[in-house]
Formats: sequence, structure tokens, C-alpha cells
Amino acid sequence: METVDVRCDRVSKRYRVRTARRTTGAGGADGWFSGFRTRDDDFWALRDVSFEVARGETLGVIGRNGAGKSTLLKLLGGITSTTSGEITIVGKLSAMIEVGSGFHPELTGRENVFLSGAILGMRRRDIAARLDAIADFSGVAAFLDMPVKHYSSGMYVRLGFAIAAHLEPDILLVDEVLAVGDAEFQGRCIDRIQSLKRRGTTMLLVSHDLGAVEQLSDRAILFDGGRVTAAGSPHDVVSTYQRLVSGPDSAGVANTEEGDPGAPAVRVTRLTLQDVSGTAVLTATAGAPLAARVGLEFTAAVTAIVTVSFYGFDSGTLLTECSGEVESPAVDGPNGAVELIFTLPALLLAPGAYTLGVTATVRGADRPIAWRFGRTTLYVQGRSQARGVFAQPFEYRVARPEPVRAGTSPQL
Amino acid sequence: MGPGLVESIRTLFAHDDLFWTLTRHRIRVRYKQSVLGLAWAVLQPVALMLIFTLAFGRIARVPSEGIPYPLFVFSGLLVWSFLATGLSNATHSVVAHSQLITKVYFPREILPLTYLAAGLFDLGVGGMVLAALLAYYGHALTWSALYALPVALLLTGFATAGGFLLAALQVRFRDVGLAVPLLVYLWLFATPIGYPLSAVPASYRPWFLLNPMTGIVESFRRAVLHGLPPEMGVIAVPLLLTLILLPVAYVVFKRIETTMADVI
Repeated sequence: METVDVRCDRVSKRYRVRTARRTTGAGGADGWFSGFRTRDDDFWALRDVSFEVARGETLGVIGRNGAGKSTLLKLLGGITSTTSGEITIVGKLSAMIEVGSGFHPELTGRENVFLSGAILGMRRRDIAARLDAIADFSGVAAFLDMPVKHYSSGMYVRLGFAIAAHLEPDILLVDEVLAVGDAEFQGRCIDRIQSLKRRGTTMLLVSHDLGAVEQLSDRAILFDGGRVTAAGSPHDVVSTYQRLVSGPDSAGVANTEEGDPGAPAVRVTRLTLQDVSGTAVLTATAGAPLAARVGLEFTAAVTAIVTVSFYGFDSGTLLTECSGEVESPAVDGPNGAVELIFTLPALLLAPGAYTLGVTATVRGADRPIAWRFGRTTLYVQGRSQARGVFAQPFEYRVARPEPVRAGTSPQL
Repeated sequence: MGPGLVESIRTLFAHDDLFWTLTRHRIRVRYKQSVLGLAWAVLQPVALMLIFTLAFGRIARVPSEGIPYPLFVFSGLLVWSFLATGLSNATHSVVAHSQLITKVYFPREILPLTYLAAGLFDLGVGGMVLAALLAYYGHALTWSALYALPVALLLTGFATAGGFLLAALQVRFRDVGLAVPLLVYLWLFATPIGYPLSAVPASYRPWFLLNPMTGIVESFRRAVLHGLPPEMGVIAVPLLLTLILLPVAYVVFKRIETTMADVI
């Protein structure tokens, strides 16, 4: 029997919205107490929400802004209490949130690590033991003894988040980790989440990065208007969500949806990225090999041209493409599943975030008949803080100019 | 609803690391980038002592039970400074940390408690100044001055109860933060600090004794200046009041705590 770590049973949360009513009458005793004349309007942030998260499971939570995701995390974190319903939590729960707002500007980075760590519920000796790891992770190790008021806003946020990333609770709430820092840092955060997941941490993952939700979660739920409107496999729930918000996404990529659900000759079923050891990854290192595996399903005997496109996450600019041809396999049944594996001997993209898209076009046709856009995000990390679009391989050496010998210098 | 008293206290003790870390930081932060540093801990009572000595000791010639007036008034102001600073800091403690309150859970009472603990540090420094003053005026300091410790404990308990109530109320009604300085100011003169209780007309005295700070200030003075234990009749009001108010204030605070993040 599997153990349930988090259980929500018909949880509802009502907020009272106070609207002050203006008295139109002039002054008098009424005017004196007009501040007290308020009307309470009810706003249900959550309504009858029920779900369970089993031990070691990662539950993805998606939904539009204001759908109730943050309220849910606040309830689970004990920050606020339910209006009705019951929440059961087994084990130590922590929230992976950016706590830079709790920093004191006059204190040094080191002092603030201890302060924020304590606020997040860490023991002092645990913080001391992880101080080096936290400093490394944040990338501000060199400035640890400087008052944080001299930090750049980026350093501030990274250090704030690094502390939260080093919590080791039984249950972890991850709220929009991918909104913190630059792409390189986000990649590091995803790696951290994956390693906690491997260690068996139960997780609730709230993110707008659907690619991350789909690939990190074991299950997902969709919130809309304070209710759970879909639950199930991350793939299905993400698809439901994309139908809900259909329209161009913020990344600027034309579509964030899967191709025609009708019955085209070929469908793109998935796109996974693998590192050199064959492990599925969301992050990659600039310059390292990478494999992109495209799952296809044929329903007719055609030849498809499959293209994997790399777009800038923020800009939506097409940066590069890999293409290949594949014939439908000789199948007896109606469905012919096949996989196309692109191998990149060295990933030449600079550190940053990229959105991946896949299209399949029947040879001879002018438009793709199957596609999959905006559902895979690749975070590329690099050893150096290289800027630019691609990672130019290079070496360097230090040379001295040939010593100028007497007698050989030009005579003037 | 809110959790039970025992459970709340258990959770609070589980966060002892946070309490100590925050208290240390409160003390440290105050003296960062300040020229006078530690002197700030006693500047308020010392400055008040100077002006009280001039106004009441020299000009109005208020009696001081045979004790040199500066010594007399400083011993009272020390107690007063702790209460006044503690209450006003505690009042704003929760609201000032609204960023944290809406992001992460920890027992919220730690916020007012750490301000009060930092105030105890100041009280300790002030105590040393008091000891120096006693030596300066050739006043014998005996072991019986240690009667001041239980009085200081009572003072802390009373201030904590007040701090809990004010901090919780301030979350909902910002009027509290505005009213506290005025009330504390009036309270200072309603308490026998610049003058002895013996100078109060006998017919008013029972009313003065209803003010819990009267008993605390009088008992503290009795201990440090005369080396005598508190008189039951004088200390009864603050003692009973604190014993009742502290658990009540804590329960009220914990009850309001559950909605703090929603209304802050």
C-alpha cells in the first residue's frame, strides 16, 4: 500500500474582500465612523479541492494566474488556514521560495544565509554544514562577507533562492522556481529538483513552464477558477490546459499545442532529450553531446520529414534546426510507432533557455501535418559565463612575442 | 479556532534556533553603521534622566526618598525604557515582516519575542550603567539587589503579554501603532517614575496601585536602591494581571495568527 504524504479533502478557502462604502451624506456623526462602514464581499479562491500526493511522488500543479495555485501552496505551507475541508500532511514540509525579501541589507551575505535559513526552519548547524554548497550554488561565494545592500538584484535573488534550494524536507513545495534568476541559474534549480526527486522527496511543483511540469511530474492537476478541473498524467493535463488557454504563448512561438488530433498520416507523440548516458534530461551543458528523440505514430504509408527546431525562450527566434526523413514502418496494424533519434555530437547553443518544437511534414506537401510546440524547454548551462547565441568551441594559450635579439632589429 | 496553548508552546520551542538567530540579528543590526554603537542601548534612559533631573530634581524640587535624584529617576526610567521600547517594537513587529508572513510559516510570536529579547539586552547594559551610578553616589550595592531579577522577569512577562496583544491588533487595525506612542507617553507620567509613590496624595494612591507599572517600578527601585524584597500589596496587581493576561494574550495572538497572512 502506498503512503500518502499530502491529502486535501474538499478544501475551500474564502477571502473576505472589504469594500469601503462611501457615505454621501455630509459630515455628522456618520462621517466620524465611516471607516468602519465596510461591506464584506466573498471571494472563493479554492472550492472543494481534493487530491492526494503519494510518498516520493511529484505532482505538477498548473493553471492560469488567479486560478488558486498560490492559495493552495499557502494552505499547504501553513501560512493561512482553510475555510472548510481538511489538509493532512505527513512529514516535514518546506517551501522552495525566494526568501531574499527577508534579507537585512546591513548584514553580510553569510549572516543573511543564517537568518533566512532559520526563517525557513533549518537548524543552525545544518546551515553551517551547507554554507559552502549554498554559496557555490548561488554563484556569490566571493561576496559572502559583503553587506547584501551592495549586491546586484540578481545576486540578491540567487542567494535568496539558493538557501531554499538546500532545504532537505520530506515534502517540498516548489513555486515558480523558473521565474528566478537567469536561464543558467534556472537550469541549476531544475537539476537540484531532479536530485531531490531521485532521493524520494515528495513534491508539489507549480510552474508555468509546461515542459518542466510535464517532464518532472508523475501526475498533474489543473486549476481553473479555484477548482480542480483536470487530473491525470502530466501529458493529458498539460494538453487540457493548452486547450484552455489556446492562443499564442508568451514565448512568441507560434503555437503551444500538439498537432491535429484528427487522423493525419503521422503524429508526433513525444520529444525527449537525453544526455550521453541515455538519461532523460531537461538541462544540458554547452559543448556536451545531446540526443533528441522524437516519437512518431504513422497511420498511413508515407514518408515524413521531421524537424526539431530550437527557439530562444524569451525571443522566440528560430536559432537552428535538425531535420531527418523517416518512412512509415511496415506494420500490420493501423498504428506504426517509430522513433527518430537526432544525435548532436556537441550542443553549440550558448547557456540559456530554449523552447523546442517538432514538426512532421509528409514529403511533397508544403505544410506540416503534425507538430508539437512549446512543450519542451531546454536549459543549457555552461562552465563559463559566455554570452551570445552559440557556444563557439575554442582554446587559448598564452604566448610571448619573440624576444628581440641585438643585431636583428631593423636599423634606422 | 487556532491551536491549543500547549501545542503552540511546543511548536515555539521547536523554533528556538530561529528565535536566537533573530534576536542576535536584532541586536547586531542596530549597531551596524552607527558611531555610538552600544551607547544607544542606554541613550534613551540616560537622556531622560538628564532632563528629569533638571526639570523635576532641580527646578520643581520633587522629593526622591532621600536618594540622589539622578539615581532615583534612572532606576525607574530603566524599567520604563524597556516597556516603552518593547511595546512599540512589538506592535510593529508582525506588520514590518509582512513580506515573510505571506511567504513562509514560522510561529509569528517569535517576531515580538525577539524584539523583547533584544530589549532585555539593553536592560542588561542599562543595569551596568545603574551599577556604575550607584558606585558613583557611594551607594552600597548588596546581594539583596538581586531581588530585582524576579521583578525584571515580571516586567518581561507583562511586556510580552502587552506585546502579543498589540502586535496582533496592529495587523488588523493600524490605528494601534499610531495610538501606542501617545499612550506610552501619558502612561510615563501616570506612573511614579519622576516622583515617588510616597509623594502621591494618600487618597489617590489606591488608583495609582491599579496601574500595574506602579508596582513593577516601585518594587524594582526597592530592590536596587534599598536591597529590599517587593511588598506584596504593591506587587500584587502586576503579578496577578500578568499571570492572567500572558496566557490569554498568547491564545488571542495564536487565534489571530491563522488569518494574519490574509489581512496583513
